[in-house]
Order: sequence, then structure tokens, then C-alpha cells
Amino acid sequence: MTAGPVWKCPRTRLPVGASALLPDEKEVVQGVLLQQGKAWQSNQTAVTGFRKLLEDCCDPTQLFAMTKQNSPLGKNLWFDGEFLHSVTIDNATYSLFPQATPFQLPLKKCSVVGNGGILKKSGCGRQIDQADFVMRCNLPPLSSEYSKDVGSKTQLVTANPSIIQKRFQNLLWSRKTFVDSVKVYNHSYIYMPAFSMKTGTEPSLRVYYTLEDFGANQTVLFANPNFLRDIGKFWKSKGIHAKRLSTGLFLVSAALGLCEEVTIYGFWPFSVDLHGRFISHHYYDNVLPDSGFHAMPEEFLQLWFLHKNGVLRMQLEQCEGPLLQSSA
Amino acid sequence: MGYSDPSSSRDLLGNRTLFFIFICAFAVVTLLQQILYGRNYLKRYFEFYEGPLEYNSTKCLELRQDITEVKVLSMVKQSELFDRWKSLQMCKWEMNVTEANLFKSTLSRCCNAPAFLFTTQKNTPLGTKLKYEVDTSGIFHINQEIFRMFPKEMPYHRSQFKKCAVVGNGGILKDSRCGREIDSADFVFRCNLPPISEKYIVDVGVKTDVVTVNPSIITERFHKLEKWRKPFYDVLQVYENASVLLPAFYNTRNTDVSIRVKYVLDDFESQQAVYYFHPQYLINVSRYWLSQGVRAKRISTGLILVTAALELCQEVHLFGFWAFPMNPSGIFITHHYYDNVKPRPGFHAMPSEIFNFLHMHSKGILRVHTGTCSCC
Repeated sequence: MTAGPVWKCPRTRLPVGASALLPDEKEVVQGVLLQQGKAWQSNQTAVTGFRKLLEDCCDPTQLFAMTKQNSPLGKNLWFDGEFLHSVTIDNATYSLFPQATPFQLPLKKCSVVGNGGILKKSGCGRQIDQADFVMRCNLPPLSSEYSKDVGSKTQLVTANPSIIQKRFQNLLWSRKTFVDSVKVYNHSYIYMPAFSMKTGTEPSLRVYYTLEDFGANQTVLFANPNFLRDIGKFWKSKGIHAKRLSTGLFLVSAALGLCEEVTIYGFWPFSVDLHGRFISHHYYDNVLPDSGFHAMPEEFLQLWFLHKNGVLRMQLEQCEGPLLQSSA
Repeated sequence: MGYSDPSSSRDLLGNRTLFFIFICAFAVVTLLQQILYGRNYLKRYFEFYEGPLEYNSTKCLELRQDITEVKVLSMVKQSELFDRWKSLQMCKWEMNVTEANLFKSTLSRCCNAPAFLFTTQKNTPLGTKLKYEVDTSGIFHINQEIFRMFPKEMPYHRSQFKKCAVVGNGGILKDSRCGREIDSADFVFRCNLPPISEKYIVDVGVKTDVVTVNPSIITERFHKLEKWRKPFYDVLQVYENASVLLPAFYNTRNTDVSIRVKYVLDDFESQQAVYYFHPQYLINVSRYWLSQGVRAKRISTGLILVTAALELCQEVHLFGFWAFPMNPSGIFITHHYYDNVKPRPGFHAMPSEIFNFLHMHSKGILRVHTGTCSCC
């Protein structure tokens, strides 16, 4: 019965027998609990070492976003999520790019916030907001009911073109709802993988046009497909086999290259928390993803490995107890 | 004995002879022109302005007769028609109430603008399968989303406005100084998003109550509103509170773009209303004019607006409707008052439309302005 464990957690493109090597959910939780008692220690040599690795493979400071510097007029760009599809930077597209990566590099303290259900009732909002630079994934809701747990500050938020398509009809009709819905992100950058999938280009560019039309506070940054591809290759070499990396891992990788200190929140792809309680998939809903697209547990293990080595800090426990929260 | 030039008496082809020949040639040419171009050639230069003649004077009756007796445009030379039209300018214009009412009642039977000009919630209930004007196989289902955009009822009723101005975009408006006269009308229609900036204000005025937008303009100049929308919104802002009128259900290509206009104005919280031509109204109007001899792939927006105005207004004044390469005095003009971009040939039958207007002017149904204005 070798096929048994394979069907338990369906994944694609795994090397034969690889699934047997992966610990299942219970083992992971056990492993994490063992580590949990010890205080986390930042390891400066590991941080520099890992940043060096990223710089060699992907050069995040230069290539994080499409800029006039790294994508000159007439440059041919191959999409990273599409087979044999490329775009040539023409005048109209070129004018949408900033001159260079628009951050004050290096960034000091960064929070990368995933959308895992573990954030619910975590009381991590204040801690997240204390960072200098807060990154979030996929236009998460930030209404007041969540701010205690996820904070309210945002400097960069990613937006998947598929969300634009599903929630905002590709911005072809009314655009006001979109503009109103991104107001919670204040003066932040909206990071869009415009050149990853064929179908994502138009909606992503439309986000730019829309925000410019309304004079909104948010600015659109386009992800550089070369960067995304390099990051993907990097993690593939580390053993993550999936059709595509999750936005979260892209962001954490970028943060590790751009920031001096990285703390990640809400990265927990399992259905139970550390105390064995069932949790929802996201902190705001329980919509499960399509299986077999992302390889979340592998990604988690890689991040957990980095946590153990002191490269980044992963917050899994509650930040403030419920008692403390009510007094605050 | 003084010296005398031996050749002085024989000025063969010298100065004097040459001079004489020139005078003769000039006289002959003038005489020929007089014969060739008709009786008014010389009169035109010597006639002094007698002041407007009374509408009912015999002279004016005759001049009007001159125009109405031309049944088909090809019956006379264009210059001849221009001449007759020019002479008619001597006469004052008055509305002929009987003729006008007769015409309006014909229109109300065929087209009925006060009920069917726009798609409304009344004439296009939810669930209607709306037929397109040209794509006859195309059908548009009126769903809740679209139905919500329609006005409850037609915002205008029969003969609601006393004096209306329909402003075409003909080059004849250039230097006409008709701006103030246009603005003095109670209701002003304009076609196809024309520029009404400072530069043109003296000639075309600013007052606008309804402005039509051709979806092809949106497609070409504003990328179907799929990219930036502010530039388009800014253009519409110029017309202040004017309603925007679009042929959304003319063909299938127009629909999405036209509906998007409504979203743009809503998103920017504009007060301007958006209306859509009812495709049945467009069909009926084209059919009517086809019976009047306007044969074209498509009648122009101007003609549709004039037809609608005739039902909605008591008195209709036309400005900038002149589709010939020269004005009535024979001076070449640009195609539009703002540019000289020629239209696609064979699409509209402009001369035939204008010819109909001149007829209607002579009958006292509406008034066509082709000269300079001196009013107000």
C-alpha cells in the first residue's frame, strides 16, 4: 500500500516517493511544539549568509519590481507562469514603471503577514504594526474587527489578477468599489504579478489606470517575472515542488533580501493550531484553495527551517493573551 | 528739322496695341462668364444690400419657390443651388405653423420621440429582448443591471421647449460668430463630443443640454474606457450638466462601451445623465428619411437629432449643417469647424440630408443658419 500516503495529501510534480519523506501534519505540529519552549535567537551570520544566497540568485534589491532601470524600452520579457509567452516593453508600458525600486533600502524591521487562520484571536495586531514595513498578501480584509489580530498598517500588499477578475469584474465596469476597497491600505504599494500569466496583464495594468484616475494614495508596482522565476528556481533547488510558489513565499523571500529583520505572521497551512484546536483556512474565511497548486506544507517546512536557524522569526503563538487584549 | 522716330506711326504690337487687346480680352471673358454662369454673375457684385425683405413679399415667395421646385439634388448644378440659397437669405424667415404642424404630426406617427427617443424603464421593461438596429440577428436581454440605468420615463415631452438649437459641426460655423445666438436658445443639442473651448466659443457657444457621443470616438480616443477613464470624464465635464446620449443598441460593438460611460459618470459622482437611443426609434427615423430620398448606409447623428428636436421643440434652428466643400458664396471651408478630417466616403449621405433641410427651411418648418450671425 505505497499509494496510501500519496492520496492523503495530493500534490503534483512530486518526485516519486518524496511524499514518504514529508512528515504529516501531526508530526509537524509535534516538531514545532518541541521547539516552541526555546527563546528565538537571531543569527546574524545566517541572516547575511541567506541574503547573500538570495542576492546571487535573484538580486531582490534591483529586480523586485519592474522599473525603468531594469526594464528598458524594447526589452523582451518572458512570462514566468506561462509557456513561451513574452511581452516587449513598449512606450505605453514603460511609462508606468518607477525609475528604480522605490524603497529606502535596506528596510529595517519588516512584518510579512500571511492570511492563515492562526492569526484569528492572536492579538498580534500591535506587534505587526510596530515594524517599519508591513507586507500583506492578496488584498486581505483589514476592517476594524480584524485589526486587533492583524494590525492596520500596510506598506506593500500583493494583489492577484484573479482577485481583480473575480471580485471586481476585471475593472471593466464600475471601478468605485475597487478604489474604495483599497482605501484601507493607505499609502501603500500594490504589488501585482502583471507579467506572469497572459490573462493577468490587462487586469493588472487596469489597476494602475484606475488608481491613477481616482488620484488614489496607493501606487502600483509590477512584479518582475525574472525575479519571480529566479525565486521559483531557488526554492525548487531547495526541494519545493509545486506548480507555483505561493505569494507568501515570494514575499518572504523578497523581504529577506530587502529587510534587516523579518518576522512572519499567519504562515500556518494546517487545520489545527499548536493546541490542537481546529482553525479556519484564512483568518477571514474558510475557503480552501484548489488542491495541488501550491505546496504549502513544504513551504512551511522551509520557513520553519529558517526560523530554527535564526534567519527570520516566525510567530505562531498568540502575541497578547485575551486578558491583556481586553485591558488594552 | 527735328528728329522723328520712323516707327512712331507704326506701333505694330507695341504698347498701345497690346493694351487695347487686353481690354478687349477682358471684356470678352466677362461677357462669356455672364452667359455661362447665369444672370446673377454681374448682379452679385453690383447689388447693394436691400435689407431683409418681408417673408410674404412676392419676391420672397418666388425665391422660396426656386428652392422647393428642385425635387432632387441632381436636378441642378451645385453652384446654381448655392445661388438660389444665397438669394433667399435676403428674406426674413418665419415659421409656417401649418406646414410645421403637418410635418410634426407625420413625425409623431412614424417615430414618436416623446415616448421612444431613449430607452426608458417604461418603453423597455425588464426582460425585454431588445433588437439591435443594424445587427438584426443580435438581441440584447435587458437585465436588472442595465434596466437600473434607464430613466423611469422620457425626460422631455412634446413641444416642451420654445426654441431649440441643433448644432452640427460643419466648417461653416467657423467665423460665424453665432455663439450668442446658439446660447440664447432654450435647449441646445450638439453632436459627437465637439470641442467648445474658449477658442470656439464666439462661433459655437457653450450651452449644451444634450451631447451625443459616438462609440467609435470612445474606442479610438479613449481605448474603449478600458484603460484610463479620467481623460474621458474631463472631456464630458466641459459640457457641465448636459445629458450624454449614446447609440448603445445600434450594433453589438457599441453596447459595452456605451454602458461603460454610465459607470464612469457614476464612479466620478457626476450629475450628468446618460441616455441611450432606442433602436426602434433609430430604425423608424431612417425609414422615414429613406422615403424622403436620403439614401445612405446610415443617417447622420445630426439628422436624428433634428428629427427629435422637431417633435420636442416648437421652433428648431440649425447651425453648422452644411456638407459642401465651399460655403454658399463659393469660398472653400474646412470639413468641421475644429478640424478638416474628412469622413469615410459613402457612409453618410450628407448633401442629400442638407438638401432636405434647405427644403424644410423654405417651407418654414425649421430654420437653417449658414451665414454669420448678428443677433443679441
